[in-house]
Amino acid sequence: MTKGKKCREISRREFLGRSLAGTTAFGLSSALINTLWFQTGCSGSLAGQWIVPEDVLKKSIQFLLAKGADFGDVFVERALFNGISSDDRKINTSTTLQQGVGIRAVKEGKTFYAYTASFIPEDIYTTARFVADAAAEGTAKSTTMIVDLTRQSSKLRFAIEPDPNHVAVEKKIEFVQRLTDRAWSADPRVNQVSQFYREITRHVNLATSSGKIIKQTLGLTELYATTYMKDQDGNLQSGFDGRAAYAGRDFFKGEDSFENVVDKSVERAKNLLEAVDCPRGVFPVVLGPGDNGVIFHESCGHGMEADLVFKGSNFKDQIGKQTAAKGVTLIDDGTNPQLPGSFAFDDEGTPSEHTVLIEDGIQRNYMCDLVWGQKLGMKSTGSGRRQSFRFPPIPRMRNTYIEKGNISPNDIVAETKRGIYVTNVARGGQVDVITGNFMMGAEGFLIENGKITRPIKGATLSGMGIQALKTIDLIGNDLKIAASPGRCGKMQSVPAAFGMPTIRVRGILVGGRGEAWEDKKGGVR
Amino acid sequence: MKQKKEYIDRVQFAVDHARKLGADAAEAFVSDTQSVQINISNRKTEQANALCDAGIGIRILKDQKMVSGSSNDLGSDSVKALISDLSKKVLFHTVDEFNVIPGESNDVLVQDWSANADALSYDPKIDGVPVQEKINKAIRLETAGLDSSPKITGSMMVLYQDNTTHLYLANSNGISGWFPTSSCMGYVELSAAEKGDQQSGNYFQAKVNYDDLDTDLIGRRAAENALRMLGAKPINSCEIPMVVSPEVGTQILSYIVGMLSADEVQKGKSLFAGKLDTPVAARILNVIDDGKMKGGLNTNPVDGEGVPQQTTPLIVGGILKNYLYDSYTAKKGKAKSTGNYQRSGYQGSGSIGNTNLYLQKGGIKRKTLISGIDKGFYMQDAIGMFAGIDSTSGEFSIPAIGFMIEKGSITYPIRGISISGNLFDFLKSVDAIADDLTWFQSVGCPTFSVTSIKIGGVS
Repeated sequence: MTKGKKCREISRREFLGRSLAGTTAFGLSSALINTLWFQTGCSGSLAGQWIVPEDVLKKSIQFLLAKGADFGDVFVERALFNGISSDDRKINTSTTLQQGVGIRAVKEGKTFYAYTASFIPEDIYTTARFVADAAAEGTAKSTTMIVDLTRQSSKLRFAIEPDPNHVAVEKKIEFVQRLTDRAWSADPRVNQVSQFYREITRHVNLATSSGKIIKQTLGLTELYATTYMKDQDGNLQSGFDGRAAYAGRDFFKGEDSFENVVDKSVERAKNLLEAVDCPRGVFPVVLGPGDNGVIFHESCGHGMEADLVFKGSNFKDQIGKQTAAKGVTLIDDGTNPQLPGSFAFDDEGTPSEHTVLIEDGIQRNYMCDLVWGQKLGMKSTGSGRRQSFRFPPIPRMRNTYIEKGNISPNDIVAETKRGIYVTNVARGGQVDVITGNFMMGAEGFLIENGKITRPIKGATLSGMGIQALKTIDLIGNDLKIAASPGRCGKMQSVPAAFGMPTIRVRGILVGGRGEAWEDKKGGVR
Repeated sequence: MKQKKEYIDRVQFAVDHARKLGADAAEAFVSDTQSVQINISNRKTEQANALCDAGIGIRILKDQKMVSGSSNDLGSDSVKALISDLSKKVLFHTVDEFNVIPGESNDVLVQDWSANADALSYDPKIDGVPVQEKINKAIRLETAGLDSSPKITGSMMVLYQDNTTHLYLANSNGISGWFPTSSCMGYVELSAAEKGDQQSGNYFQAKVNYDDLDTDLIGRRAAENALRMLGAKPINSCEIPMVVSPEVGTQILSYIVGMLSADEVQKGKSLFAGKLDTPVAARILNVIDDGKMKGGLNTNPVDGEGVPQQTTPLIVGGILKNYLYDSYTAKKGKAKSTGNYQRSGYQGSGSIGNTNLYLQKGGIKRKTLISGIDKGFYMQDAIGMFAGIDSTSGEFSIPAIGFMIEKGSITYPIRGISISGNLFDFLKSVDAIADDLTWFQSVGCPTFSVTSIKIGGVS
């Protein structure tokens, strides 16, 4: 957003939809790898460190408040991004250091922001004075505001093990090489393999005008794998999978193992080669557990972010009203161990929390930061997040999921005469928050006579959020909250995770180029 | 904002230092940006950000291995530390005989990049106008929309953003220079309501010149787009002709051009591989990438690795004529770089991307094109096109909004349907192209129609 050419590059980097141009989206695809490669991270203790001395932060806050701002903060960041890409059997690294100090002043609900890449105290003070002047809009006289800063602590711990900075680069290249070999040898039809592994370490210091001072280290380890397959008839398909966590490599075990990510990318490409065209129309859709929760992120999550609520999203004025089918409980949680959307403190110093948004179908809360929470007369839910020091915080989702029900997933499929079973999100999703119209790309299988049968291709799911949520008729007992890969884009991009049990939804539009289907009592024609 | 001697020196210093540490060839790139970003809500400033951002990207070639890295710490000790780190890492990279840093031997030297005004996309005014005036301009974006009808109920997003960037490049093969580039953009997203129905509409425009950004038009169009959708409803599943708006056409073109990247083709990721000089689209279709177009948003003297930008016809009369190349893919494919190495910011490495890409306009009016359709769908916009197109297989299904066409005229608004097909079939089914070439960012497209499309809707 702030970089030289991005303003003119919407179309080429459109994996996040027109996120730059205002709408919100979640991106998840091989195109994302390309973009992540372009995003631009510092060794040191992972326990958090003071990048600039506490007295410099304190003095900066004084300058920031000297001209009458209501509140403000100083966000210091030093981040190291270490990537390893494997493409066309060639393995290369990329290294990026990003550092700076972002300074914000808020006055009468207006936000004024600037940043400097320099950690020199005088440069930080100059930036603070500049922001203070901008917020004063040439009116206020200078006064001295003394703010005492108190160190904040949290019980939440996010282990990053092993410390990526203590593992030799050749060891990392070796392990990516093994993953690459694994994909190439999986099937004779594999004709290309692209993989991207990255470790991000972000050291953050934050001082606020309310007197908080915080140091924390945010980490993200992620792997994306795309496998291309071509059959004898020249049909070409690619399968994608990924995992990400606020953790080190040791986290990725069992179902979340990197080997499993590679195997899934192969299996998905294979399924697409053998797939039939997805039928189109409104008929029962069964969504498998885990990452498919992106459907709630798009269909209702964004519309419950305080800034969008305030401006008139379709979830405005819904507190206490029914916004989903009975039995549906929607949570946004920033405290789940090691998930990509977790943290001890949000990017304006509010402790993270478990926020109940919808309880048994009734709207209970919205996701608030300080600025927009105040406008709505609500408390911050610890949802103020920023992509980096280059951005002021805005209300964002963290790890979003719906609670489990009590039906076995097998029964949900068995009770569906005809429909589709969605195994995974393809490429991401997007929402128009004014109308609540959302979409998500999907891969999976046909359900025929209560059984999962042939794989499908070319499927998307779309609908209007509240209407679709009210047509959820079966909720499974198999909740899975996933270490989801990808980025959520809303002017800024941040990691987020999703979760859900198996569910069935009746009022959703399936797009595809197969035959036109309709819903009659569980999908019988 | 003027070019900075220190950055001209810094890129040369980085290249020299990399060579000193044993690089066979090296390249350094500095991008120095000043940007203003203003969000408006309810006729007032919601957010004003003034940003300065400079950083360096470095590529080092050693024993046919290439490494890249970047940093926004431009201090000489920090740059030296980065180069030292990269010089160690490169030893573990994979040998690739096609790795290359362009230069004299590739016959690509152009001097004095900044001297030829026609080859630049730069307006010094963008950096010169005071922020307060830009805030007023941003407020006009919203006002034009809000005041256009009492049915307009508010704005969800109003954004003005500009940037002025100076780019500095040097490599060990004789390429060095700098040039400026700038752009500004306005985006408005509004809601309209009537009888309990709420609809959204947006519009945006990006321009090289500050005075060309038409705030009134952007606000008004966003309002029109929302108002026209009031009362929208789904239609039944069917298969009918479709007219594609420039808004949608430009997005589709972006996917097609991604598949025309020589890198995707050479690695077997694109179904356009092996299709040169064969028909890939309807005969009336011409697609051109023009890096020299006067006034184009992506018009620059050279690309991200210092190779001159050029005009490259990609599809001519429906026949595939070329792919987009950078120096690496050119060496690999025994072709010439088309000057399409694009960097995003100051990152160490880039990838192949379009410059100013467009579908050539046809000879008929948009109205005439629509008047020939008895029953069809006019696609105005898409939700989540990036997630609806599989750019490997070309399969797509995209949630769409638009209008019904009946007996040659646009009748009622439609929402809640999806269109689906395959991009390769889609390109061949284009049957008419209008003369209203419209640019969104660096991609241009006129209104066009296809013989038929599958629509998924209510039963």
